Amino acid sequence: MRLSGRLRSSLIIGGQGIRARKMRTFLSMLSLFLGVLAVVTVQAGSVIAQRAMLSDVEITRGKDGTLQMYLPSNPQSVPVAIDVIKGRGDAVGVTRGKAVIGEPGVKPLNEGGGRVDDGGGYARAVNVTCDAGGCRPVEDEDAGAPQGQAIELGMNALTGDIRQFRPFRLQSGEWLDFSSAPSLSPRIVLNKYAAEGFAKHRIPAEMRVSGAVANATPRIIGVVDDGGWGPAAYVRSDELLNWMPVDSLSDQRYGTMELMLAPTATDLQQTLRTRLVAAGANADEIHAETINSLKEMQSQLSLMRWIFLGMAAMVLLIGVAGILNVGLATVGERIEEFALRRAVGTPRLLLAGIVLAETLLTGLLTAAAAIGFGIAGLKAVSSVLGSREPFLQNVDFPWQAGVAGIIAGLVAGVLGGLIPAIRAARIPIATVMRA
Amino acid sequence: MTPLIRITGLTKTLKGQDEPRTILAGVDLTLHAGESIAILGRSGSGKSTLLSLIGLFDRADSGQYLLGDNDITRIPERRAAALRSEEFGFVFQRFFLLKHLSAVQNVSMALVNGQGWLPRRKRRAKAMEALERVGIAHLAKHKPQRLSGGEQQRVAIARALVREPRILLADEPTGALDTETGNLVVEALRSATDRGCGLILVTHDHDHASKMGRVLQLTNGVFDATPERVVV
Ligand SMILES: Nc1ncnc2c1ncn2[C@@H]1O[C@H](COP(=O)(O)OP(=O)(O)OP(=O)(O)O)[C@@H](O)[C@H]1O
Ligand SMILES: [Mg+2]
Repeated sequence: MRLSGRLRSSLIIGGQGIRARKMRTFLSMLSLFLGVLAVVTVQAGSVIAQRAMLSDVEITRGKDGTLQMYLPSNPQSVPVAIDVIKGRGDAVGVTRGKAVIGEPGVKPLNEGGGRVDDGGGYARAVNVTCDAGGCRPVEDEDAGAPQGQAIELGMNALTGDIRQFRPFRLQSGEWLDFSSAPSLSPRIVLNKYAAEGFAKHRIPAEMRVSGAVANATPRIIGVVDDGGWGPAAYVRSDELLNWMPVDSLSDQRYGTMELMLAPTATDLQQTLRTRLVAAGANADEIHAETINSLKEMQSQLSLMRWIFLGMAAMVLLIGVAGILNVGLATVGERIEEFALRRAVGTPRLLLAGIVLAETLLTGLLTAAAAIGFGIAGLKAVSSVLGSREPFLQNVDFPWQAGVAGIIAGLVAGVLGGLIPAIRAARIPIATVMRA
Repeated sequence: MTPLIRITGLTKTLKGQDEPRTILAGVDLTLHAGESIAILGRSGSGKSTLLSLIGLFDRADSGQYLLGDNDITRIPERRAAALRSEEFGFVFQRFFLLKHLSAVQNVSMALVNGQGWLPRRKRRAKAMEALERVGIAHLAKHKPQRLSGGEQQRVAIARALVREPRILLADEPTGALDTETGNLVVEALRSATDRGCGLILVTHDHDHASKMGRVLQLTNGVFDATPERVVV
């Protein structure tokens, strides 16, 4: 009761004070506005930049927390892994190989698998295979063949839906359906570079996959942005295996299988290790790594952010000087009011609190205005530039920027209001007798 | 009956520009309920200083100050603020109305001081009642700049009365007013003693002083040994 009486009294007195000096409150807000806006902008900018970088990293590497495992190059390891993760929704195996889609028996337009219009991509590397007997070149399937209408691309065979770990952006068509029975003609989803190549050249639909026993007729069902740099395609590994023996997935040319496991699938990791070692794999060759891109990126971004925040703080400080100036002038003008209020029994602490609360309120109002301005500005930027910069499409205003703005407003209110508040509390009551 | 106020041997020394000056050198004063006292004295004799000690704006250097049965010579500021709110009403030479508030808000402002709480309607009713007592309820909605000096001072008196204090302190309340308006104001103050309020009026005007029950003369920091007795 006693406390609420004080609180209510201070609300009434503070409210009267602000209403009696609307113009002055407005000017205080104006002087503070730029500073708070700078803090909000820097914070929003860094969060949005981080989000954009993170979403790219998520697509190319995988979401944070995902466990990445690389199988040893043991002939049994891929069949064992496929068997272990069969039916598990929380683990996906990926094997990477090479495929050529187009006229049979020709050299692809982009031999080496580079972007189709980059003039053939990378110089062809000599494929080498090694075993206990030493290393020797692998026979080149296309050796001596004429150049023709075909495109070479990286072929990723998936045992399950990889988009739970790497959220590819669907650009057209649809993504692979892993719930249906495997089809005899493999369904393929292209990435955008592969799709560009197919759009520019007339390519017949026949597919050669390294290690396959027969050529298949692919059905291209969709296009995704996978964050990759060259043409690639995604296919269900069980559909691909209709054309090739399962152990060909451990072929040197494919590299080994990469497994992506959900953070909760620790049991699976254990089982896999045991089974792989039992199948003759060397335990030291099983590499596992948890993806933690956010932390790595944050340390890179934080330096920049602190520099910008420091600059914003300077602007804020200038605003604080403005609010302090106005606050001191106001207290000077209100000396008689405060002396009178003390004479009628208002405790001095309450008066100090009221002065402080008035500037705090000004700071909060400014923060609200700056946050509102920031939200509107982001909407405007997003609608103007969103079509050119995908990371500016439909961006939400980051809540961290709102919090930063409110903190900046409160800090500025305290810094600008404390000295006037102390002055107000020190006014002697006898002032009212000497005027 | 216990007097409202008993003051004995009160002294106050203020730091002057060069050396400290003793303003009050042992003041004795007793005020009973319903009693009115006028204090006369040359300018600079320390009348306002004495009033600021009585009203707990400041503390004495030595002596004793009893409020009823309580020794409040050296109470802390927090309690002094509560006593100013509960026991005292003040009227000053200048009216000190807040110019952004109407007459009735200027009165109820004394009820919004962090000491206890009254809802808005009760505050308004009390403020209107106080304005009625000084005869200007019809001006309740006017802002100070639309009121004459006498009306403003009566708003200030209503503000002093609204908490129904037991002691009313007035420091030259008619100093800025013409004789006729001054009379009106003094009458408004004096009528408060009819309800048992004690009144101390500092004034330069002998006519106004003569309307009080007792007149004291402050000279050289003490009250004259032979106070003038005035019959009303
Ligand atoms: N804060 C202060 N510091 C030092 N001296 C002061 C202070 N306040 C007042 N004085 C001095 O104390 C003396 C008494 O002042 P006070 O205001 O009490 O006189 P007064 O009797 O009320 O005079 P008046 O009739 O002019 O109002 C004056 O000489 C004044 O200069
Ligand atoms: Mg005086």
